[in-house]
Amino acid sequence: MSDHEHHAHDPDHGHGHETAIPEGQDAGTQALAEALRSSFLIVKIVMVLMIVAFFCSGFFTVGASERAVILRFGKTVGGEKALLGPGWHWSFPYPIDEVVRITNSAEQSVETTVGWYYTTPGEDLNDLTGENLPVTQELNPAVDGYVITADQDIVHSRATLYYHLNDPIAYTFDFSNAQLIVQNALNNALLFAAANFKADDILLDHVTEFTEAVQKRATDLTDQYHLGITVDDCTVQSIPPRQLAGVFAAVTDARETSAKAIYQANSDATATQLNAGAEASARTNQAMVASTTYVSLVEADAKRFNELLPEYRTNAALFEQQQINVMMAQVLTNVGDKWFIPESANGKTSQLRLQLNPEPPAPPTEGENQ
Amino acid sequence: MKRNVTTIIIGAVLVVIFVLLLFTFQVRRTEIAVVTTFGKPVRNIDEPGLYLKWPWPIQHVYKFDNRIQNLDDKFNETLTADSNPLIVTVYVGWRISDAKAFYPKFPGGGVANAERMLEEMVRNAKNAVVGSNTLSSFVNADPSQLKFGEIENDMFNMVQSDLDKNNYGMNLEFLGLKKIELPQSVTQAVFDRMKANRQEIISHLQSQGTAEAMTIRSAADSAAAKTIADATAEAIRIRAEGEAEAAKTLPTFEQNPELANFLFRIDAITKSLNQKSTLIFDERTPPFDLFQELPTNSVPNP
Repeated sequence: MSDHEHHAHDPDHGHGHETAIPEGQDAGTQALAEALRSSFLIVKIVMVLMIVAFFCSGFFTVGASERAVILRFGKTVGGEKALLGPGWHWSFPYPIDEVVRITNSAEQSVETTVGWYYTTPGEDLNDLTGENLPVTQELNPAVDGYVITADQDIVHSRATLYYHLNDPIAYTFDFSNAQLIVQNALNNALLFAAANFKADDILLDHVTEFTEAVQKRATDLTDQYHLGITVDDCTVQSIPPRQLAGVFAAVTDARETSAKAIYQANSDATATQLNAGAEASARTNQAMVASTTYVSLVEADAKRFNELLPEYRTNAALFEQQQINVMMAQVLTNVGDKWFIPESANGKTSQLRLQLNPEPPAPPTEGENQ
Repeated sequence: MKRNVTTIIIGAVLVVIFVLLLFTFQVRRTEIAVVTTFGKPVRNIDEPGLYLKWPWPIQHVYKFDNRIQNLDDKFNETLTADSNPLIVTVYVGWRISDAKAFYPKFPGGGVANAERMLEEMVRNAKNAVVGSNTLSSFVNADPSQLKFGEIENDMFNMVQSDLDKNNYGMNLEFLGLKKIELPQSVTQAVFDRMKANRQEIISHLQSQGTAEAMTIRSAADSAAAKTIADATAEAIRIRAEGEAEAAKTLPTFEQNPELANFLFRIDAITKSLNQKSTLIFDERTPPFDLFQELPTNSVPNP
């Protein structure tokens, strides 16, 4: 092959070689050769750009609330725990690699789909206890939900489970709809817990224990199913059937009334005991005061006796008369009424007659008159 | 020559891609596959990765989702062993475990047909297990009487046994009760019973409140009476102690009992006649006997 022939077919050759076109070719051929060279150049550029674009398409970003896994030929790159965190990453483009994004929000939640009477979403939000919704005489199992309690009563109950993923790969790749299975586990947990608790325990007496039982069962089941989640919290709302709202309210009233009576009795009992304690203290204190006073008085009398005894022995009659007169002076000073009855001129003592009337009888009532 | 090399490389790459497309296939992390040769299943692919195959029409690859699928059973009424009508719904988690066995059983419909068949198995197992248990096995406050877990296990074992026996290439991962309900007509009877029970509870609460209040009050009264009685006894003891202490002064008064008696009487009169008393006396009462010696204004008797 001559140099001329080589140059004639080399599309890379620039315009500086146009003079090398073999003689005998016409202008059309030259133009065609020119166009081919230009086309090859464009194709080359496009191919290079495509190759660059092919490899650049492997760049991807993972958001703050996401994780990502690269599947290379369908297999997880880096084993089961190869989670890519937020930021820039690169993988081979499809079909070599495939990037699977996993939502890894801080907390997820599911609600039970059994256990609650039928409502539309709007009704449910506007009336959480269902007091103002129409009530049917019976519950239709096709639409109304409820749980049967350990004492074979009917109670409406619903639960919400809050959880986060501890194994996003298992949660994403091992289940066609992991959230639905978490929800069914929660449904089962609600059913199981209700089967263990009596209606009054669920509604009133052991609400916390019931909630804990639901959470424990849900946790056990999700662990058993290897869902790759950690249960954070569980809330449960339970109400009696709306068909029995009146009688349950009456039970509540009766319970309140009973509690009030017992509370009042306890209050009265406390007051009684306090009063008794005070009375007891008063009695003992009075006794102590009286005893002390009595002893003091007797001792004072004894002392006085010892002091007066010599005077008495000197002239007993005069001593007695003196004491009587002192006493009379004191008595006559104290008493309110003093009646002096002098002797008559005939030497007889005047008589004082007092008529003390008994209490007058009560007037007869109308019934007695009739 | 340079142009030919480039062309050859591009051509080779295209050929390689074409060959790879013809002779290889991928199985994803969520899949299992079966390779058929002229329609006959010959190879199971259980692990994800890149695999070789002969091109169509010699070999064909059928891929299946091997993730755990959820199936919710439709509710139907069943009688328990003690003739209580019960509506039980269950959910199951299942997966295709053996694509080579699964494919021939469900060649056309695949998963949808498999679920229909599985639902039938679940319904049969459910009816059999519910029918062999009493209502109290489903709901009971006594944990030893409650057979919730056993019921689920029995259903699980029956369904898994059917799957294994027929070699469907399916595996049951879990089974749980989703709903236990009563027929619509029975709920009214339950409400009537609950209402009667609550009326009884109301009466009981009322009586209990009254009785308990009475018990509390009587106990308090009793305790108060005892407290006061104890205090009274203590007071008597204290007074007795005082009197005993006072009695020690008796020898003093025994020196002259007449004087002692006189002084005691004087004190008694002084203390007993207070402001509310009325004292009536005549001229012979000292010191008013002094009045006998004075002239009076009394009128002498005729």
